[in-house]
Amino acid sequence: MTELARKICMLGDFGVGKTSLVARFVRNTFSEKYLTTVGVKVDSRVVDLAGGDRMKFVVWDIAGKAVLDSLNQNYLRGASGLILVADGTREASLRAALNLLMQARDVLDNPACVLFVNKLDLVERWEVAPETLAEMRHSLPVFETSALSGDGVEAGFGELATRLHA
Amino acid sequence: MSEFPQAVENYLSQALRDRAHPLLLSFDAQWQLTEVSGAAGYHGLEQGGPAELVQQLQDLFLGLPLDQTQDLPFVELSDGRHAHVHLVPDANDTFHLLLLDASEEHERTQSQQQLGNQAVLAGLEKSRTLARLRQIKSELEQQRARLEEANALKNALFATLSHEFRTPLTSIFGYLHLLERGGGEGGRAQALQALRRNASHLFALAENLLEYGRSEAGETLLDAAELPLATLVDDLDAMFRPLAAEKGLALVIEAGEAPPATALFDQIKIRQVAINLLSNALRYTPKGYVRGQLGWDGALLRLEVSDTGLGIDAASRARVFKAFNRGAQHGGRGAGLGLSIVKRLVERMGGEIELDSAPGLGSTFRIALPALGATGLPALPQEQRRRGLDALIVDDDPDVAALLEVLLGDLGATTRVASTAAAALAEVGQRAPDLVLVDVELPGLSGNAAVFQLRSQGYKGGIVTVSANATEEARRAALAAGADHYLTKPLDFAQFARVVQSLGERAAPP
Ligand SMILES: Nc1nc2c(ncn2[C@@H]2O[C@H](COP(=O)(O)OP(=O)(O)O)[C@@H](O)[C@H]2O)c(=O)[nH]1
Ligand SMILES: [Mg+2]
Repeated sequence: MTELARKICMLGDFGVGKTSLVARFVRNTFSEKYLTTVGVKVDSRVVDLAGGDRMKFVVWDIAGKAVLDSLNQNYLRGASGLILVADGTREASLRAALNLLMQARDVLDNPACVLFVNKLDLVERWEVAPETLAEMRHSLPVFETSALSGDGVEAGFGELATRLHA
Repeated sequence: MSEFPQAVENYLSQALRDRAHPLLLSFDAQWQLTEVSGAAGYHGLEQGGPAELVQQLQDLFLGLPLDQTQDLPFVELSDGRHAHVHLVPDANDTFHLLLLDASEEHERTQSQQQLGNQAVLAGLEKSRTLARLRQIKSELEQQRARLEEANALKNALFATLSHEFRTPLTSIFGYLHLLERGGGEGGRAQALQALRRNASHLFALAENLLEYGRSEAGETLLDAAELPLATLVDDLDAMFRPLAAEKGLALVIEAGEAPPATALFDQIKIRQVAINLLSNALRYTPKGYVRGQLGWDGALLRLEVSDTGLGIDAASRARVFKAFNRGAQHGGRGAGLGLSIVKRLVERMGGEIELDSAPGLGSTFRIALPALGATGLPALPQEQRRRGLDALIVDDDPDVAALLEVLLGDLGATTRVASTAAAALAEVGQRAPDLVLVDVELPGLSGNAAVFQLRSQGYKGGIVTVSANATEEARRAALAAGADHYLTKPLDFAQFARVVQSLGERAAPP
């Protein structure tokens, strides 16, 4: 049994649910209250991989921005995985996530990536269409998630773990 | 840069230290803590010991080079405080981590950015709410227009109906008067014939009116039974022969092959369809013939009614099936209820209607009806039955799920049941069904979320969403998530059957 540690960054516009997704993943909690993240918070959780290995996720939750400024570029260094987060109720946040991915690829060498489209519990108010996501699945793994209910969160992180392990 | 005077240097150094409470942790190349200096007490290191902090810092620098100066501003520490964390490399791969307290600065920056971000989000929410209000307003306007239209139709219906009823009633009273006065045997027979004709006409009108009322009250299941084809044809013949004779028209009503005993139909409704088509044909045919045929072709029951009457031009063809349209009035085709009811009845029985017509030459109506299942739902076409339409029911209420299983089974489908959105996704992942039936109100994630995920994962089959919520907004949300149809509870079984059939046809290979 080996324990690997990997740095993962949450990347996405503000208010899409990055902090909430980390809270769900690491502590299994959720809060309705919105507290803008300034700077960075590092959390960790060990997950079991198929084949008995374990992986320590060191998750960087950073301030949400639609573009990657030099500060966030600095925070990205050393990351091997990215979780791009968009908010299904805000179409623009999906475009922002894809932009961030392109910018992050300039800083990082071939990072493992997954896209979380969050707030699935509010699907009745989503602006993002299912066809759009069906299309995106051709280029990266997409998970509809809800930090509120927890749906999709474990599966999404699990997929990233698999990709990091490969 | 020139040095400040020593007094100022001292002051500056003290002021910065007072503000930042610097804490220095020194490490060897293996992350072993070798020394702690500075404001250890301020950073709470005296009670807890540095182990937790060291672990956190080690996580923080995962993947980062330890032989370069680094500056990570605003790092949240596990006690909730914030620090700027600097890495200063030293000789022999050792390094120092310098923590400068940033809690106050963080709080200021945080509340500023929070205000900015919340303003943006509130702006978004506001424009969304406005858009929703506009949508609701336009829906209300449409609804008002529909109500006005319906009201106008109803008024026109009453006006024409009173006329439609008055005409045969006038003849009935007239002939009754003649009979009471007595007269020759020939006159008597003629009067009785006229009475019969007008009474049949009134009967047909009354039946149509009842059917019209029923449709407004919602549909019920069909009444499936064996069809006594010969008797039905004899009845129709007896009903219409006098009228044809009086107008000098040739009337032929032919009974074809009877359907097998296993093929069930709603006799009353078929009769109503035939009566409407035949009475229309006789009414609008001044000379020539009217011909009706009813028979089983081995797969479908076919009814054909043709005449040598006025005919219907291409422009009016679609309109003649509309309930009580003004055009039909102007075209002189009576109350215009008859054909709309024919069309509705045929559709309810899962059948199809076609109209062939040339102005001046006559019209032919062709109807094809599939046999009904035992619960009174139209059965799926043969080839779909053979293929076995595969349906997934997503409902957490076992009673509802069981009912849907029976109905779908009767439509010729095989069924599976899932009780949550997640279970539904798993079922579809195992084997994609032709059709998914989803209740919106599921425990946990809604049925809409399940539908969205199915579509985003590329599921191309039919999806019917069922909900107790009849608002336009709920319907829109369900369709936006990817449903093909939105049905409201309590379920209208006939509509349900139609929807399942149409999706079944889509699923069938070309
Ligand atoms: N309904 C719902 N709200 C969520 C979800 N995730 C986050 N939120 C809310 O969205 C707001 C922003 O979340 P946060 O995690 O701070 O977003 P961040 O700026 O990306 O870190 C907060 O009010 C959360 O409670 C979710 O899955 N469903
Ligand atoms: Mg955040």
